[in-house]
Parts: sequence; structure tokens; C-alpha cells
Amino acid sequence: MIELERVSKSYNRGQVKAVDDLTLTVKPGEIFGFLGPNGAGKTTTIKLIVGLLRPDAGRIAVEGHDVVKEPLAAKQVTTYVPDYPAVYERLTGLEYLNFIGDVYGVAKAERLERIQKWLDIFELAAAVTNPIQSYSQGMKQKIVLTAALLPAPRVMVLDEPLVGLDPRSAHQLKEMFRGHCDAGKTLFFSTHIMEVAEKLCDRIGIIHRGKLVACGTMAELKAMDRTEGGQSLEEIFLGVTET
Amino acid sequence: MIRAGGAGGGAGGGAGSGVSRFRTIVTVIRAGLRSNFGLATVKHRLFKEKKDRWLVWLIAASFLGVAPLFYGIAVTIQKVYGVLKPMGQEWALLSLGFLAGQFLILIFGVYYIISAFYFSRDLELLIPLPLRPSEVMAGKFAVVVVNEWLTVAAVVLPVVVTLGVVSRAGPGYWVNAALVYAALPVIPLAVVSLVVVAMMRVVNVSRKKDALILVGSILLTVLVLGIQIVLGKTAGGGGPETSAEVVAKLFASPDSLLNRIGVFFPPSIWAAKAAAGGFTAKGLANLALLWGVSLGLFAGMVGLAEMLFYRGVIGLGETTEKKRRLTRDEMSRRVTSARRAKAAIFGREWKIMNRTPIFLLNGTLVAVIFPAFFVLMATVSSGGGGRGGGAGVPIALLKAMASANPLIVTLATALFMTVCGSLNGTSSSTFSREGAQFWISRVIPVAPREQAAAKFLHSYLVAALGVVTAGAVAAIFLREKAVHLAAAAGLALAAGVLLTVVGMAIDLARPLLDWTNPQKAIKQNLNVLLAMLADIGILTAAFFGVKALIKARMGTGATLAVLFAALAAVSAASYAALMRFADKRYPTLGSNL
Repeated sequence: MIELERVSKSYNRGQVKAVDDLTLTVKPGEIFGFLGPNGAGKTTTIKLIVGLLRPDAGRIAVEGHDVVKEPLAAKQVTTYVPDYPAVYERLTGLEYLNFIGDVYGVAKAERLERIQKWLDIFELAAAVTNPIQSYSQGMKQKIVLTAALLPAPRVMVLDEPLVGLDPRSAHQLKEMFRGHCDAGKTLFFSTHIMEVAEKLCDRIGIIHRGKLVACGTMAELKAMDRTEGGQSLEEIFLGVTET
Repeated sequence: MIRAGGAGGGAGGGAGSGVSRFRTIVTVIRAGLRSNFGLATVKHRLFKEKKDRWLVWLIAASFLGVAPLFYGIAVTIQKVYGVLKPMGQEWALLSLGFLAGQFLILIFGVYYIISAFYFSRDLELLIPLPLRPSEVMAGKFAVVVVNEWLTVAAVVLPVVVTLGVVSRAGPGYWVNAALVYAALPVIPLAVVSLVVVAMMRVVNVSRKKDALILVGSILLTVLVLGIQIVLGKTAGGGGPETSAEVVAKLFASPDSLLNRIGVFFPPSIWAAKAAAGGFTAKGLANLALLWGVSLGLFAGMVGLAEMLFYRGVIGLGETTEKKRRLTRDEMSRRVTSARRAKAAIFGREWKIMNRTPIFLLNGTLVAVIFPAFFVLMATVSSGGGGRGGGAGVPIALLKAMASANPLIVTLATALFMTVCGSLNGTSSSTFSREGAQFWISRVIPVAPREQAAAKFLHSYLVAALGVVTAGAVAAIFLREKAVHLAAAAGLALAAGVLLTVVGMAIDLARPLLDWTNPQKAIKQNLNVLLAMLADIGILTAAFFGVKALIKARMGTGATLAVLFAALAAVSAASYAALMRFADKRYPTLGSNL
């Protein structure tokens, strides 16, 4: 579960309000899609959840652990995939996975099983002993995703996870999302792909200028929308983020 | 039409007339310097954002901190000048200063040239532009030359300035010295460039590029050192000589000592004679010789660049690896059991440092090369490449000192070990080296102090490697007693904790994480310079502390024990402070990555 209570974050000494009094709860077993125009505050919100940024005000908790007061406990149950897969290029894929397994304390048996499973799914098995430096952008994205799945976290937070993935891998990732949440875990991800959000997410939040301007299931969002015939997520999105 | 240019030499556009080509080169050089030294960013942060003004004060304070050291050097030079002048050998010191500077450039030049020519990310922007390979390389070369002016300043300028002042030199000395200083890095760098460009042409066709670069650069360094030593020995003349004969030869005629020292790298003779001679015919002739050879070698390098540079650089960053699926057993062996987080972070630091040539060359290897440089300089200073005078005059002096005053030799050895271990960029770039990957350190469930402790262990091991190498040099060349070596190593290892902590604290305070070119994280990282200045300040403070202890006539054992206890106490306190600082600082870092 992820809880944000009246969270605010601004930059440039308060001149730019990136997140403004945001309250949001993502329940266990839920896939939550986070949408918004460029610069709306999506990445800032995600960085606040994973502890890369500190909120100016408000409280954020992951599985009941306050991310500011109990950062290690919160991090132990969370994994994060950034929008750009910057990873240790001089390590091999397997060395990177072992590193993540070590710092999250994943036992050898589970580690072996999960690594083999996800490497097979992402078709990385033949490249895992090569340096990450030799990977394509999509392969780097896949190794970061594999690393994020390795600890089998209670909460996954992903920033634009589908960017750079080929259609097969994107499909498999979406399947993984569903499987993760069917096991009662939580998944929070941002995306610009409306179709993905519409089809995959249990609930969707739309952030605009730091404020949550819409939040709910697809049915709830459609009910909220007062525009004529605005029934697709894209039209709802355009409606609530106008000017 | 798209034309593939460059790889075969002579890229398309930008040829034009000599004047327009000159303008192009000047533009490329200007852009290279601005980008390399981040002048626009510095200007913006200092004058627009008014953010880094404290740094200016810090640097000024650091220079004030090391002022006593330079004062000590100047006084020593003045005294040696007083001894050599009556024998007509006073300018030998100038030759030694220039030679030390040029040796430094020769030895480290291999790494500087490789990193500037082949690992700058801006090459990806420059190569597609309508520029000739030689123009791109000239731009890069200029950046390295400016870097070298700054690097060797601490070695060469104290000698040049002190000699100019004590000899009451006229304008001819100062003008020529400035021109000599400007040309000083060109010959060694051009020689190194010629070899490196040829080497990289071969490296680029291999699959194991990183390994080849590493092995190749080490071999080149050994080759450079070897050539200098052979040159010195050959020039020493035939037949064995007694010590008396050597000494007689050294002082046979004016400048004979200068010539003898400079024989290891003749341009240092031309440089010294050009400055010492001022506006006389001899001075101007040597200046013309130095500049002529510099320009000639530069032209040769430019010519070679047209043929080979792009063939070595294009595709260097691409790595192709054979793909092979591991069997279940192989995978089981290679998937590790859960190690402790600290061990995992230490392993990561170790692997990344040793597998990134620029990090390895500017960090770990410095700890090994520095003692080798000392041996070379000590041998050179003997004036005969180890001939006649045995292991060399300075080494003989140190040996004599060792038997006469064990306290002094222990302290000098400890200082040597400390300098070899700690004056590299490992600790002061430990956070910066993570660069854009620092987000990983921020999100993993490992306490900042634990991460800092693992990084400390890595940096400290590099420092310890330097201590061991320096110890080996002291044992082999000075034949120091084991008890002195052990005492010196104890002091150096205690001081190493403090200096490692200081380097890490400086880098933690202002890590450079937004680099795109790994050499910026270590070679061009201001933190490395700040840490070195801080280290020199600490060592100077320790020097005065020791001086006070010696004055108090405490006895050798007691003095060493008090010094060790003081260093250990300060080191322990500084380590604890670093851990607290890490806890406080980590949550504020890398949020923009």
C-alpha cells in the first residue's frame, strides 16, 4: 500500500510548486496508473515515494512505513524503475542482479529461480554474463526491470516503464504487472500511453500542475467527465488538463 | 548525397584556405577549453546563481594552507643555489625542475592523451561536424596542454620563480622562462600522442578494447621510463667510473651538471639553457630549438592524425560480446549466496574502478606509478643513471641519513608512503564516480553510513597499496631496516585513514554526479584538487607538530608513539564524523538523476 497525505514539494525556494497538497492511497492488489502532461509533477511524486526527494509538507508511507522517518524499512519493501535506465555499465547483467539480490537480502534459492524466470521472459538469458555496456537501451531497461522484480517487493514504483521496450517485452511486462497485483501487491506507474492505462490499470490518477485533478476507476473517470462524448481516457485526459 | 568521411582521413568540409583552417582550429580549441573546464557553468554559478562563491574562498584558504610548504621548498632551492653558484652549476636546478615536469607529463601523459583523445563524449558531437581529424585532435591536444600547465605548475614554478628571484634575473630570463613553460608539455605530449594514436588504431579492431588499452598504456609507461634510463646510462659514457671521477665530471665546466641531468630528456637542457641564457645568442638559440622541435613534433602528430585518428576513435565505444546461455549448473554457480550489503557495495566499487580504464589509471595505478617516478627522479638526480655513484646521490644521502638519524628517516619514509598512498583521486571521487547511477545507492535498503563504510574500505585499500609499494621502494633502494619500515608504515596507515576520510568528505559535500564523460569524475574533478590541497595542509600541520616534538627532545620512540597516537585519535574521530555526515548528506543527493 502507498499512502500520500497532503504532500507538497516545490523547487527554487518555493517558486515552482511541483506537487501541491497531494492526497492519494494506492491499495494492495491495485495497479495504479499515474498520468499527466510533461512537467505536471509525475516524476516528482514518484521520487517522493521512493525517497529520492523529501516532501516539504505532508506524509508518505509505503506498507505503513513513513519514507522519511523509516527510510530503510520503506526501501526494503519497495523497488523502483526510473524513466532512464542508468545502470552500472561496467558490471555484467548477472553481477548487477547479484548486487541487488545482496542488498535486498534475497536468499540464493529464490534468487536463482527468479533470475532464471525473468531472464527467460525478457529474453536476456544469453546476454546476462556480458557487460551492461554492450546492451541496447531496451536490454538495459529489461535488466533494470529484472532487478526490480528480483526482491519480489510488496510495492513496485515505475516511471514510464514501457518506454524502450519492444512489443513482446511490453506485453510480458503488462502480464507481470497483473500477476504482481493478483498476488496482493501494489504497483504504481506513470505513463503517457493512454491505451495501456485504460486497459491495465485498476485505478488512474491524473496530475496537472502538481494537483491531482482526477482519480478513480475508468468507470468513475467517465462518470466525472462532463464533456460531450468524452468517453475515452485520452479525451478525459485532454479535458481535465486543459490550460 | 551522404558522404562517409573521416575514417580514411581528410574529412569532407572545413578544408578551405590556411586562414579559414586556422580559424576553425581556434574555434575547436576554444570550444574544447570552455567545455572541458566548464567555464560557462563556473561563470553562471559564480556570478548569476552566486552559488559557488564559498569555493573561491576555500581554494584561496587551501593555497594559504600549503604556502608554508612552498616557502620551505623556496628556502631549500635558495640554499642549494648558494652552494652551486660558486661552481658555475646554479642552473642545474632549473634543468632538474623542467625535467621533473616533463617526466611527470611523459609518465602520466599516456593516460591523459588516451582519455582526452578517445574517451571524451564530445567526440560523438565533433566527429559528425565538417572538421578534419587533425582539427579535432588539435583541439583535444590543446586541452591536455592547458591541463598540463596547471598540473606541473606545483613542480616547475617554485624552481623557476625562486631561481629568478635569487639570481636577480633580468627580463630575458622571465620572458624566456614564460615561453619555455608554454612549450614545456608539447614535446612529451606529442611523443606520447604519436605512440598512442598508433596503438589505438590496433586496439580498435580488438574485442577486448578496455583490457588492451590498460595493458598498452602500462607497457607504454614502462617503455617511456625504460628509454629514459637507457638514454641516461648510454650518455654516461663507456667504462666504469669511480665516484671521484663522476664528481669531477659533474663539475668539470659550467653547466656540466645541467647537461648531465638533462641527458635523460634533452629538451629539458634546451629549456634550462633558454631561460638561463635570456636574450643572449645562446638563450635564443636554445629557445628556438625547443620551439622548433615542439612545432615539428606537433606537425608530425597532426599529419598522423589525418591518417589514423578517426580509425582509432570511431566505434571505440561499441562493444560486441558473444552471447551464450548459461546452463542451469553454471547459473547456479554464478548466482551468489546472499552476501552482506557492505561486502556487495565494496565489490561493486572494486569492479567498477578496476574495469573503467580512466578510473583505474587516475586512481589505483597512481599509487603504484608514484613510487616508480620517485625512483626514476632519484636516479636521474644522481646525474649518472645509477652509474658510478651507485644508486644515486640522493639515495646515498638518504642511506647516510638512515644510519645517522633513524627518527628522521622513519618520518621521511612515512611521509613518502603517505604521499604515494593518498595523493590519488580514489577517495576524493568515490561518490562522483557513481554519476547518474547514484539513484541506485539512494533507493537500496542500505544505510548511508554502511555504504560510506564500504567506500571507505575500498579507498583505504588503494591507499594501503601505495603504502606497500612505497615501502617496497624504500626497502629495495634505501635498504632501510625493517623496524624503521614497520614504524613508517604504521604512521602512514594511520595518516591514510584521515586523508581518505578528508577526500571522501570533500566529495560527499559536492559530488559531481551529472558527468557524461568518466574522466570528468576523476581527472577533471575539482574535488580531487581540493582534497590534495587539504592533504598537503594536513601534512604541513603534522610537520610542524613533529618539529615541536623533536624540539621537546622526547626521544625517537616516544616521538613516534605520540605522533602515531595523535594520528590514530584524529583518524578515528574523523571516521566517525564521516559516518554522521553520510547519514545527513545522502538523503539530499542525486534527486535530479
